[in-house]
Amino acid sequence: MKTLIRPPTRWPGLALRELWRYRSICMVLVRRSLMVRYRQTAVGAAWAMLQPLSLMLVFTVFFGALVKVQSEGIPYAVFVMIGLTIWQVVGKVLNEGSLSVVANGALVNKIYFPRAYIPIASALGSLVDLAFGFLALSALLVVFQIIPGWPIVLAPLLVAIALAAVTGVSFWLSAMNVTYRDVAQLLPFLTQMWMFSSPILYSSSIIPAQFQPLYWLNPMAITVDGLRWGIAGTPAPPIEEWLEGIIVAAVLLCSGYFFFRHREPGFSDTV
Amino acid sequence: MMTLGEAPAVRVRGLGKQYQIGAAPGSSNLYERIGAFLGQKSRAPRDPHPTIWALRDIDFALSRGQVMGILGRNGSGKSTLMKILARITAPTEGVAEIYGRVGALLEVGTGFHPELTGRENIALSGAILGMDRHDIAKVQDQIIEFSEIGKFLDTPVKYYSSGMFLRLAFSVSIHLEAEILLVDEVLAVGDAAFQLKCQQRIRQAVSEGRTALFVSHNLVSIAALCDSAIVLDQGVLRFNGPTAEAIDVYTREFLGMPSGARGVVTVAAASAPV
Repeated sequence: MKTLIRPPTRWPGLALRELWRYRSICMVLVRRSLMVRYRQTAVGAAWAMLQPLSLMLVFTVFFGALVKVQSEGIPYAVFVMIGLTIWQVVGKVLNEGSLSVVANGALVNKIYFPRAYIPIASALGSLVDLAFGFLALSALLVVFQIIPGWPIVLAPLLVAIALAAVTGVSFWLSAMNVTYRDVAQLLPFLTQMWMFSSPILYSSSIIPAQFQPLYWLNPMAITVDGLRWGIAGTPAPPIEEWLEGIIVAAVLLCSGYFFFRHREPGFSDTV
Repeated sequence: MMTLGEAPAVRVRGLGKQYQIGAAPGSSNLYERIGAFLGQKSRAPRDPHPTIWALRDIDFALSRGQVMGILGRNGSGKSTLMKILARITAPTEGVAEIYGRVGALLEVGTGFHPELTGRENIALSGAILGMDRHDIAKVQDQIIEFSEIGKFLDTPVKYYSSGMFLRLAFSVSIHLEAEILLVDEVLAVGDAAFQLKCQQRIRQAVSEGRTALFVSHNLVSIAALCDSAIVLDQGVLRFNGPTAEAIDVYTREFLGMPSGARGVVTVAAASAPV
C-alpha cells in the first residue's frame, strides 16, 4: 500500500475510493455517539419517543383544538405527529452535523480519516432516533385506528430525501463553521426558519397555488406531504413536488460534499 | 539511512509547510472578504497576513525496519513533520511517499470518550486508530494487563485519575498494529516505573521489525531506540545520519553543551535497563 502526500489542489477530487477504504471509521463514530447519547439519563432512549410525543400534545392543544388548523381531514394529533417525527430528526442532524467538525476537533487534529464521515455519522446516528419516533407514531395510529395505505412503501425514499438535504446543508455549514464560528450563532435561527417554511404544523395546501412550485423547492415539503399521504391517506402530492424535492436534495448533497472537500485540507490548521 | 536495494518505507522530498501567523488562517473579517470579493480596496490597508515556514526543503528516506529519531528544540518543526506524515495537515510543497499502513501516536487517548468505560474505550479508540475487530480482540487482554487498570475496567474513564487514564490510553496506542509507527513524545506518561515499561514495549515493537519515526526530547531513549536520527532547526534539516552523531550535533549546537556530553548520553543509554 503506497500513500502519496502532496500539497492540496484547489479543487480536490471526490475521493470516493478513500471514503470506501475508511468506511469502518464511519461505523465507529456512529457507534460511539450512540453509546454516549443516553448515558446517565434515567429513561434513556425513551427520550427519542417522549420528545415528539410531548411536542405533539402541545401543538394539538394550541393549533389543533384552539386555532383549529386545517389538517386535510385527519386528526390534527396524527397530522402534526407525522411532521414532528421526521422534523425532529432533521433538526437534530442540522444542529449536530453543522457543529460536528469543530466539536470533533480533537480527532481532526490527531488522526487521519475522510472528515466527511463526521457529519455523515451524525446523520446515520439519527436513524435510530427516527426508528423510535416511528414507534411512537405507530402507537398514535393504533389509538386513532388509522391503517397506512400502500404508498407507505415510499417512506424510505422520503426519509432519504430529507436526510440527503440536511446532510448536504450540514456539509456546507460544518465546513464553514471551522473558519467562521458565526454558524453556531446562525443555527437556532436557521432551524426555526426551515421548520416554519416546511409543512410541519400546517398543511402545504394553504400555500396559494401560484407559489406552490416555489414552496416545493424545500425538500421537506415532499417528505412531509409524502409521509402523510402514505401513512394517513391525505391527498397524493403532485409529481412536480416529487421532482423538485429530489433534485434540490441531490444538489444540496453534492454541492455540500464538493465544498466540504474543498475546505477539508485546512481543517486541522484552523479548527 | 537508506541504501540501494532496501525496501523503502518513507521517502520525503522537498517537503515544506507554510503557516499564516497572527490570525487564524482564512479568518479575515467577513466584511473585508466581501469587500475584496467585490473588488473594493479595504479602507485601512493592512499588511498581508505574515507567514512563516514551519518546515522547508526536508529530504530524507527511511527503509523498512529502521527506526529514525527526530531531534530539535521546541518550534523546530518536529510535530509539523509528524502531522504531515500522519496526513493530519497538508504540506505546502514537496512530496512524501509512504509504503505501508501508518499508525500515528501523536497523543495518548485519541478517540477516548469520558463517558465510556475503560473496556468500551479500548474497543472504540482501537478502531479509530485503525485496528479491526480481530486485531482488537487479539490484543485486548494484553492492553488490559499492560495498563494495570484492573477492577476499574468497567468504570467510565471520567472517574479515572489522570495517571490511570494515561496508562490505559498509552496501552491502547502501543498495541496498535501498524507497519509504520509515528511516535511523538508519548513516552512521558505515568510514573518512572510505567515509563520504563513503555520504553521496553516500544523497543520490543521495534525489534519486531517495525518501521518507526520517533520524536522525543529524551536523548537517552533516542540513543537507545534509533538506528539513525535527523536534527531539525527552525524548520530546516541540519543533520541526517547515525544517532550518536546526531545527538552530538544537537547537544553541541543547540543545547550549548560541550561535545563530551554526547559521551554521557551514550553511556547512560548503554547502561539504561531497557
